[in-house]
Amino acid sequence: MSALPSQAASSSPVVVMQARGLIKRYGHVTALDGADFELRSGEILAVIGDNGAGKSSLIKALSGATVPDEGDIWLDGVPTKFKTPIEARRAGIETVYQDLAVAPAMTIAENLFLGREVRRPGWRGSVLRQLDKKRMLEESVARLNELKVGIRSMTQPLETLSGGQRQCVAVARAAAFAKHVVIMDEPTAALGVKEGGMVLELIRRVRDRGLAVVLISHNMPHVFEVADRIHVARLGKRGCVLNPKKVTMADTVAVMTGAVRPEDLPADALAH
Amino acid sequence: MEKSTLTEAASAAPVAKTRGHMPAGLNVAVLGPFVALLLACIFFATQSDRFLTGGNLSLILQQVAVVGVIAIGQTLVILTAGIDLSCGMVMALASMVMTKLATEQGLPPLLAVLCGIAVAALFGLANGLLVTRIRLPSFIVTLGTMNIAFAATQLYSNAQTINDLPPTLTALGNTFTLGGTAVAWGTIVMLGLYALAWYLLRETAAGRHVYAVGNNPEATRLVGIPTQRVLLVVYVVAAILYGVAALLSVARTGVGDPNAGQTENLDAITAVVLGGTSLFGGRGVVIGSLVGALVVGVFRNGLTLIGVSSIYQVLVTGVLVILAVAVDQLSRRGAR
Repeated sequence: MSALPSQAASSSPVVVMQARGLIKRYGHVTALDGADFELRSGEILAVIGDNGAGKSSLIKALSGATVPDEGDIWLDGVPTKFKTPIEARRAGIETVYQDLAVAPAMTIAENLFLGREVRRPGWRGSVLRQLDKKRMLEESVARLNELKVGIRSMTQPLETLSGGQRQCVAVARAAAFAKHVVIMDEPTAALGVKEGGMVLELIRRVRDRGLAVVLISHNMPHVFEVADRIHVARLGKRGCVLNPKKVTMADTVAVMTGAVRPEDLPADALAH
Repeated sequence: MEKSTLTEAASAAPVAKTRGHMPAGLNVAVLGPFVALLLACIFFATQSDRFLTGGNLSLILQQVAVVGVIAIGQTLVILTAGIDLSCGMVMALASMVMTKLATEQGLPPLLAVLCGIAVAALFGLANGLLVTRIRLPSFIVTLGTMNIAFAATQLYSNAQTINDLPPTLTALGNTFTLGGTAVAWGTIVMLGLYALAWYLLRETAAGRHVYAVGNNPEATRLVGIPTQRVLLVVYVVAAILYGVAALLSVARTGVGDPNAGQTENLDAITAVVLGGTSLFGGRGVVIGSLVGALVVGVFRNGLTLIGVSSIYQVLVTGVLVILAVAVDQLSRRGAR
């Protein structure tokens, strides 16, 4: 086990996930140019950035969708190298993607348990491989109730739900199975105002249950509504980390686009 | 106040409630074929005294057994949003292999049957590898393997029919008596395979993954399901079923026929589509394909009984197929 950077020495919060010097090149294009990343337990960290700032490459590296050329990632202090999203998932990192549905024609309960189906106990499960539909249904109800997602029937097809409800199911699915981190890639992008608010509220509840949440979003009001810290990706690096309580939306956008240098912001605008 | 936001929003969305009562998968596309079958049976029962006899119904079942078994494999492929145009030709090749090996090469009949099924499985493996590894569309892949299987059948058999088969190869064409009616063993094999497919698709994770791949392959992959492996297994299992259908075909006709499979090729797809399985993948019930095959079988049998040219049966099938796809399309539009 390689040594951890000593950066977190002063701050008390527990660092769940950390990355140092991530580099990812696609041919002549350098998408990540030594990017750093730090995520603490029980926080919502928003990741923002202009197009081409390396935001999605960073997220892909963290969720196992791509393998960085160089750099290190630590999860709970342990160095990790994810080669596939499946490996990241096994390590307790769940990702919610922008496209709302997993399997639209399948039921909500089936969607929640897709890829982690529970088989019946005894010979019916081991020999006949029979699924324990009753138990999965009950657990689906319990999980969604825990997160206060008000959906009546777990046996209706996902496609009968509104966009916001579908996204709530996706978030609940991730929250229910994540051990460490939930990464959300533009979860509110396809939603209207009310539905977006519903999903934001749920994201907050996921955080309150102790999970670390990474929220990628273009929507500044949404970012400022829920984020505890804002990671600004710029030119393939981490430009700075901002404190949404002390920085204005206009300054944030200015830093993001390069109009203002992070050093020129008031000192308390930077998060620690 | 914040806490109630979600529940309010949920109850404000009436869609969730009104559509919630219908179990998943039970809709007009699934119930339609049952109604069509029922109506067809009632119609022919009024037109011919012989239609509703046990002997005739048993005959219909025996007639649809080959198409019915191919349709199980075809259903699996279509559920993954693919299509297998090679089914009938692969069946024909498998039937030539098993009959030729059992007669001219003198292989033990059971071994010959296994070899025939293995050849079919190899074609399924080729289809599956081309679809998953090279990412070719299944339509193109199976169009190619359809022609290859057809040519292989003709070359291998010299376009000659194989006669004088050992009794083991035709055993499934034999009948037993059930309540005074002769039932073919082939019918039992078909029904058993439908029951098995129904169980696996409905009650096991592997079966549900077939639906998930057809619904949304990318999301299914990201959930951690090996979608390429699911697809590969589906194409191989489908081809094995074509091999079993080959045995049923040999048993029924009593010969190895190099020109078999030509009508079964499209009849199987027709049966699946009539049975309510969506060509867009991820929706459908395998029993529907049995009903679809029976609809075609009942029309063929009934129209023959009342002395109508079999061309009308082809006409009716064509109309029903378009109707079934239209219903699928419209119900999808309704469900967004």
